[in-house]
Amino acid sequence: MPLKFTLNGNQVSLEGVPGEATLLEVLRQRLDMLGAKEGCGVGECGACTVLLDGKAVDSCLTAAWQAAGREVTTVEGLAQGDELHPMQKGFADTGAVQCGFCTPGMILTALDLVEQAPEPSEQQIRRAMSGNLCRCTGYHDVVRGVRRGAKYLRGEGEEQ
Amino acid sequence: MSLGQSLIRVGTEAKVRGETRYGFDMPQAGDLHLACVRAPKAPAKILSIDPAPAMTIPGVVRVFTAKDVPGEHRLGIIAVTRDQEFMAPGWVRQPYQCVALVAAETLEAARAGARAVQVEYDNQPGVYSFEEAMAPDAPLVQPEHAGGNLLRENKIKQGDTEAALKDAAVVVEATYTTERVEHCALEVEGGRAWWEDGRVMVKACTQNPHYDQADLARFLGVEENQVRVIQAETGGGFGGKLDLSVQPFLALAAWHLKRPVCLRYSREESIRATGKRHGLWMHFISGADEQGNITALKARISGDTGAFASYGLAVNQRAAVHATGPYRTANVDVIARMAYTNNTFNGAMRGFGCPQVALAHEAQIDAIAAELGLDSFDLRKQNALRQGDHTSTGQLLRAGVGLSACLERIEPIYRRWQAELKHTDEYLEGVGVGAMFYGIGNTGASNPSTAQVQWMQNGRVTLFTGAADIGQGSDTALMQIAASRLGLPMERIDLCRGDTDKTTNAGATSASRQTYISGNAVMGAVANLEMQLLQGARDMLKERHLEVDLRGGVLRTADGREIEPAEVVRHLAKSGARVMGEGRFDPNFTALDPQTGQGRPYAAYAYAAQCARVRVDTASAMVKVTDVAAAHDVGRAVNPRSVQGQICGGVVMGVGMALMEEYEQGRTENLQAYHIPTAADAPNITPLIVEDPEPSGPYGAKGVGEPALIPTAPAIAGAVSQALGRPMRHLPISLERVMQALTAAEGETDCED
Repeated sequence: MPLKFTLNGNQVSLEGVPGEATLLEVLRQRLDMLGAKEGCGVGECGACTVLLDGKAVDSCLTAAWQAAGREVTTVEGLAQGDELHPMQKGFADTGAVQCGFCTPGMILTALDLVEQAPEPSEQQIRRAMSGNLCRCTGYHDVVRGVRRGAKYLRGEGEEQ
Repeated sequence: MSLGQSLIRVGTEAKVRGETRYGFDMPQAGDLHLACVRAPKAPAKILSIDPAPAMTIPGVVRVFTAKDVPGEHRLGIIAVTRDQEFMAPGWVRQPYQCVALVAAETLEAARAGARAVQVEYDNQPGVYSFEEAMAPDAPLVQPEHAGGNLLRENKIKQGDTEAALKDAAVVVEATYTTERVEHCALEVEGGRAWWEDGRVMVKACTQNPHYDQADLARFLGVEENQVRVIQAETGGGFGGKLDLSVQPFLALAAWHLKRPVCLRYSREESIRATGKRHGLWMHFISGADEQGNITALKARISGDTGAFASYGLAVNQRAAVHATGPYRTANVDVIARMAYTNNTFNGAMRGFGCPQVALAHEAQIDAIAAELGLDSFDLRKQNALRQGDHTSTGQLLRAGVGLSACLERIEPIYRRWQAELKHTDEYLEGVGVGAMFYGIGNTGASNPSTAQVQWMQNGRVTLFTGAADIGQGSDTALMQIAASRLGLPMERIDLCRGDTDKTTNAGATSASRQTYISGNAVMGAVANLEMQLLQGARDMLKERHLEVDLRGGVLRTADGREIEPAEVVRHLAKSGARVMGEGRFDPNFTALDPQTGQGRPYAAYAYAAQCARVRVDTASAMVKVTDVAAAHDVGRAVNPRSVQGQICGGVVMGVGMALMEEYEQGRTENLQAYHIPTAADAPNITPLIVEDPEPSGPYGAKGVGEPALIPTAPAIAGAVSQALGRPMRHLPISLERVMQALTAAEGETDCED
């Protein structure tokens, strides 16, 4: 039986996906979606975060078959052509990106957050992002990035 | 002019799109996968290695052992201590050392193969601490090393320390310790290698592609030009990607098999097999006069470098040189000693020993203030190194000494936090200060960088640099320097970086050196390019004595004509010449005297002061760092947002070092057990940039990467000490240590030492 789900708005159908395969393995090895990273393989670092029906999940701990019939969003599905997604733009404009390895996961977790809290407080941001580790930024600019992205999403312009 | 502007870093768009390809994002169909067979214990003799069971596994192509290394077995970043064997030749010196390497058609087969290789070991007695290593008749970790198990002793001697301590109004003495710390870059080590045109190509994460090339050539027994190293985008390093990691395995397999191969460490393998920050033992005796002027420091420092030297020499020397902290100290007697043991090797990590000694020098100044009943912040200002002072190595600080300015920037914040301190039944608060100085670049040794800048026929300019950007932002900083010096907008500059075929050696991305040293190399390359353009213009116009200069990206003659440089480039191209400026910079230094440690080890120093506010929960013993203010003299901020980003990242790494991080072999070997700070653990940070221009720096710039971290843990330790009313001298300040201190405080017993 093929594994079918929606990936970034497109239907995918994969043959021969073993029961133990993780969503991360399927995304990276079968679908060439390399934006989700493996930083630890045990759900501690959040670098593998993707959205499953809009909820941020660690794809390294999610069985690929859990995605059957559902909607998976990876970082590759956010920008519309040349136009960055407002959250991507928020991260870029605030210097929230240093080495960038944690960035895709961070952005997806932030999207899950602002879906629930369009104008998140600093404490909400810090709590929501605490499953996404970063060793470069000290999170200072990540908090600013999420705020800025949320602001762009609310259509509140680009002023500093 | 782009210099001094907070431009968005180059590469950011690809990173937010998830399009950046790191070391292990490149495997392609048909690549072989590699897996290491690692020894469980050290030291041990390898009695036999039987690859036969692995070869029966479908997909396994080959099992390599030390016999397959065609060149030198022993590699290492510092030439005089090249001692790391990537394939253990008959003898295992450290746990998890690789003894065999399996290549297979799939990752699963490679891992199954690695489990199937049969290795017979004969365990030997080893040494696992500095004390054991230095005991008489201790088994030797590196019998080839002339000094037995003592890797190196570094001395700093100035004045008459014994007499000064005798005459001091106050003498404070204490022992401080820190533990081993893991770099924990979010990207684990990974890469790919292949065979092309009779050469080995290696594309992997690294902080030093040209060093990698030289050591890989040595490993394969070939000329350097037989190996091409391309730096993959690197997801953080912090010193952990200075030593070779996956590269020798990749190169060896590609060399023998003539096929593309890939390898990525798991997080566990990364933690087990790569270097750590040294834990140091530090005994400090400091003297001061009645006014609180520091008069003497006697310090004894010892460390365990593990089984391979890696950067041990650099850490030991730097710890000794920076032991006084950024304070005038006329009489100094420091001896730092580093020993080999059979533990996993320790190497470079953000600060090379300075974050460790900073714990001691900052607590000592607090102790002096307490003894004399003086204000510890005032004491720091009073003793702070200033222009015209000498360091403990006798170096005269001529200019660019911004420590007092840093202290002034944080003082109002510090005073306010002290005034706001609260102690309740539920929690205790405290405020602490950390200050530091940090020599930019290698210690008392040549460490040049080179760069080229080429003006193309289409009017664009390409900057060629071997400097590895690992996320710290050197690409952007170097391009901003080039653009500013050329008078061009950033958009006109292209970058070619970190490819040994196309760029020349810039040295390591370490020691906070790239902005200063490679930035100067870029300045030199532009000056050289400019000269070629001016000559070219005279040649093109056939006016030998034409007065012309390059301003705003255009050649302007004294009589008002304007010439596009690209015109000159096209003119010179007709005769086959290209317009490429070459730059080289090596900081001005002298080697340290081996007996006294006197000399000028660095051309420039960065300075910083930070204060931290903490709250200790009395029931749970949890320490929360609520706020940190961090003032850094960077000479000149080439990209202020990047500088602030470095400061904030350093502070939070310092929070980890202060409160939670400790590598324990066999225990904290994944991210479930080894904790680094999360967004919820991170304090509110106020990054403050101080600019006291360094005369020898590009536009006055120095460096900030390591200074960002160094003062944080001491500031936090000082704050927790104030909160608990007793000195916290051992890192990390774990729950257990805080609980002990709280219990001791209740029992009114003596302090913890």
